Amino acid sequence: MPLSKLSRGVAHLARGASLCAAIFIGVAGCATTPIPNEKIAVAKASVQRAEQAGAPEYAPVEMASAREKLARAEKAAADHEAQPATQWAEQSNADAQLAEATAQEKRSRKAAMEQDANLQALRFLAQRSTQPNQ
Amino acid sequence: MNSKLLSGLSLALALGACASMPQPNPVLEDARAAVQTAQADPNVNKYAPLDLDRAQKDLSVAEDAAVHHRDAEVAQPAYLATQNARLAQAHAAAKADEARIAAGQAERDQIVLSARTREADNAKASAENAKAVAAVAINQRDQANSQRDQATEETARVQAELDALKATPTPRGLVLTLGDVMFDTGRSELKSGAGRKMDQLAQFLVEHPDRRVQIDGFTDSVGTDSYNEELSQRRADAVKTALISRGVQPSRIGTEGYGKAYPVASNNDSGGRQLNRRVEVVIGGNNGSAIAPRAGL
Repeated sequence: MPLSKLSRGVAHLARGASLCAAIFIGVAGCATTPIPNEKIAVAKASVQRAEQAGAPEYAPVEMASAREKLARAEKAAADHEAQPATQWAEQSNADAQLAEATAQEKRSRKAAMEQDANLQALRFLAQRSTQPNQ
Repeated sequence: MNSKLLSGLSLALALGACASMPQPNPVLEDARAAVQTAQADPNVNKYAPLDLDRAQKDLSVAEDAAVHHRDAEVAQPAYLATQNARLAQAHAAAKADEARIAAGQAERDQIVLSARTREADNAKASAENAKAVAAVAINQRDQANSQRDQATEETARVQAELDALKATPTPRGLVLTLGDVMFDTGRSELKSGAGRKMDQLAQFLVEHPDRRVQIDGFTDSVGTDSYNEELSQRRADAVKTALISRGVQPSRIGTEGYGKAYPVASNNDSGGRQLNRRVEVVIGGNNGSAIAPRAGL
């Protein structure tokens, strides 16, 4: 980076310090947004659904992450930190849905493989039984 | 580099949101990779297009934030994009396997169905086979019974007939002895009393055309050998003639005069000599076989 440009940038920053301050105030303003109770409820429901779908067994990493983030969202909400509560709730929900889908995927894979094995045996038997009797 | 510049640079780094240079964001990199992988998955396009759509929207929100230097707003949508892209793949894989399971169930049902059909066909076929086999078996049994009955009947009848002729089984065949009483002394004409016996014998031979008959004449030891042999031959021929006249084919009848040979009793007394004066009729087997000439016995 040319030094002249950097100098200009620093000078610009110095002049725009008030602008930056305004942006930060704006971000802080998010704290006044309502507590995302609905998003937390959605995340909670997703976590419960994942638990019922066997995610603790089939997708333990995603499941643990979803639970932990739900707890953080609830804590942030209790602390009236709306922004972090929203983010944790959204992430918890995404993790829980992924955990549920992963559990579903693994269950289906297991069933499909079992069926493949059964079908293979069945095909073999069917083929053998169509041979003329000795 | 002066101290003023250094402090300015520190400030620029600290206030990342206000810096003109976009910083490489590993969360965003992950999101791009995850979405790209999901897009390349044919199962995702087929089974989870909505999930993929959601991931792509999350990613574009993150990209938009990055482009507009709202760096604090990148990580959250980027993370959601990553998780939703993975979600799309998980859903797609699950649905692909479910489709495979459905196809497998259809195949299994088909196999079971055709096996049952085959089973039923086999059962039907084996029932028909069993029926056919039973019919054949019954037919064979009936035939055998009938043949056995016929054979039994035949045997019984032949036996009865032979009993009536007072035939005796010997190695040469059944031997019917026509006693001396059928001929006058020194004569070869059958006496009239012999007629009934000839009728029975002729009837038997006519009814059993496959049997041959051998007629052997014998005398006692009184008289010359040539006389006795001639007499025995003439008596045998007389019996043959009697049979021919009753319908028996001449070719089936053999005759032989043995004279005083092969006595059946002592020639020292009249009773013995009477027994030795005789004609023996040998009835052959039902296979038409020739009757061996008299030898020993």
